[in-house]
Amino acid sequence: MGRVKIARKSTFIDMTAMSDVTVLLLTFFMLTSTFLQKEPATVITPASVSTEKVQETNVLQVLVSPQGKVWLTMNNDTSEQWSNANMRIALLDNVTSLYNEQHKNKPISFNQQQKQAFSKLGAFGVPLAQMGEFLSLADEPEGLTKMDNWLAGEDPNPNHKTGIPISAENNDVTLNEFQMWVKAARMAGNENLTQAMKDGIGVAIKADQNTSFEIVHMVMDNLQTIKQNKFTLLTALKAGGE
Amino acid sequence: MAEVQQSGGDSGKKGAQKKMQIRVDFTPMVDMNMLLITFFMLCTTMIKSQTLTIALPTNEKVQNEENMSQASADDAVTIILDAKKVTDPKTGNLVVDSVNGNVVNEVYYYFGKPGGDAGMLGAGGVVLSENNNLQKSEFLTDEVNSVGEHSARGIRKIIQERNKDVLKEIKAIKKQLEEGKFGPLETKDQREEAMAKYNEAASKIRKNEDLKKPVIIIKCTPQASYRGLVDVLDEMQINSISKYQIDNMTDVDVVMLDDYRKHHN
Repeated sequence: MGRVKIARKSTFIDMTAMSDVTVLLLTFFMLTSTFLQKEPATVITPASVSTEKVQETNVLQVLVSPQGKVWLTMNNDTSEQWSNANMRIALLDNVTSLYNEQHKNKPISFNQQQKQAFSKLGAFGVPLAQMGEFLSLADEPEGLTKMDNWLAGEDPNPNHKTGIPISAENNDVTLNEFQMWVKAARMAGNENLTQAMKDGIGVAIKADQNTSFEIVHMVMDNLQTIKQNKFTLLTALKAGGE
Repeated sequence: MAEVQQSGGDSGKKGAQKKMQIRVDFTPMVDMNMLLITFFMLCTTMIKSQTLTIALPTNEKVQNEENMSQASADDAVTIILDAKKVTDPKTGNLVVDSVNGNVVNEVYYYFGKPGGDAGMLGAGGVVLSENNNLQKSEFLTDEVNSVGEHSARGIRKIIQERNKDVLKEIKAIKKQLEEGKFGPLETKDQREEAMAKYNEAASKIRKNEDLKKPVIIIKCTPQASYRGLVDVLDEMQINSISKYQIDNMTDVDVVMLDDYRKHHN
């Protein structure tokens, strides 16, 4: 009786094809991805039936935390002339002059390095009196982490305040710092942003769904006072639609 | 595929090299790629946020009273949004109620003037409960019956009832759109073109001054959540309301709300 011989087969699996596929997928994800921007506060926007898409360029985003803290993000044009780096510096210059007009006895100024550091920021928002100290952190070792912590309100120094100062009592003669920033953005020189802000699509309020109306109303009221009457609210798409 | 055949020189001779087979194991490469893919998948945002555009009046004081456009009492619908409050069993204080961390909103409405023509406050600021025309409603999605017909409920039904003239016209042109009266709907471009025409026609209807339309005044108490406000603004869009505004609560509104709670809780 002859035994049936089972041929010993190699268990080596050729992974080349698999590797090809994964590299393709990787390329796809690398090219399509837009990274989530680091934000000082995590907010979940409310759902809405609106299908209008948010603008990615030429928009000033107002991030409102449920505690009533406010930060800004300025996204500029894709063109070189009105790029983020250029416009951010113009924004800082404008806001400095607006601030110094009202605080003649305590003027602020920024050096070139601080301006450069500001142009690279994502979301920003510390009181202007502390802005210089904040921007100087960028040149320190671990400075970026320190800046993120400061913005998130986790700085060990209790004097380091986060959020742009804003108040419910406001008028268009003595502006608060939030109003200065918005005004400064409007006249930063990026014509596309100025136009978008005029049309309302250039200012987007991003607030958490459980933020009380009191806080949202305060932000809206501040915008209204400086004649920024039109703006958009960021929402998520409502599942199921109508 | 991952093998490289190396044919050694002259076989058979002394000191001939063996045929060598070089295989490259790609498994670690695949492992690494998978990790990178996972990283990119988790870090990307595929869904862009949606936006809701709103326009508010300026804060400047209107100099001339005549220039103020007053909503006639007939058309005015006031919607008041408030957070639901419950008594905290520990402290006995009223606190904002929340389910799964989300604030629960309550929606109230009244037509025309607060308290009707007679008014809410009598001589000397006496609250006239019998005149309170405030009513309570809810945010509810449409009820769909077995045939697939939608019927509105809650606050949406109330708004639709007031805006039925406009909605009737909108419904008519929507039917025309489906029948292809705004152009063929075969390709994507055609559909977009037809939709643009339809939207133009719809906005004309919404702005038509001959149709009877409500003017909706949205008021929120300080405790009401932002989600509630977006929900109300959504209802405006769903129900094709062209005139609405966000306003501050007046003293009378607060009185009405308190009075309603006193009699219905």
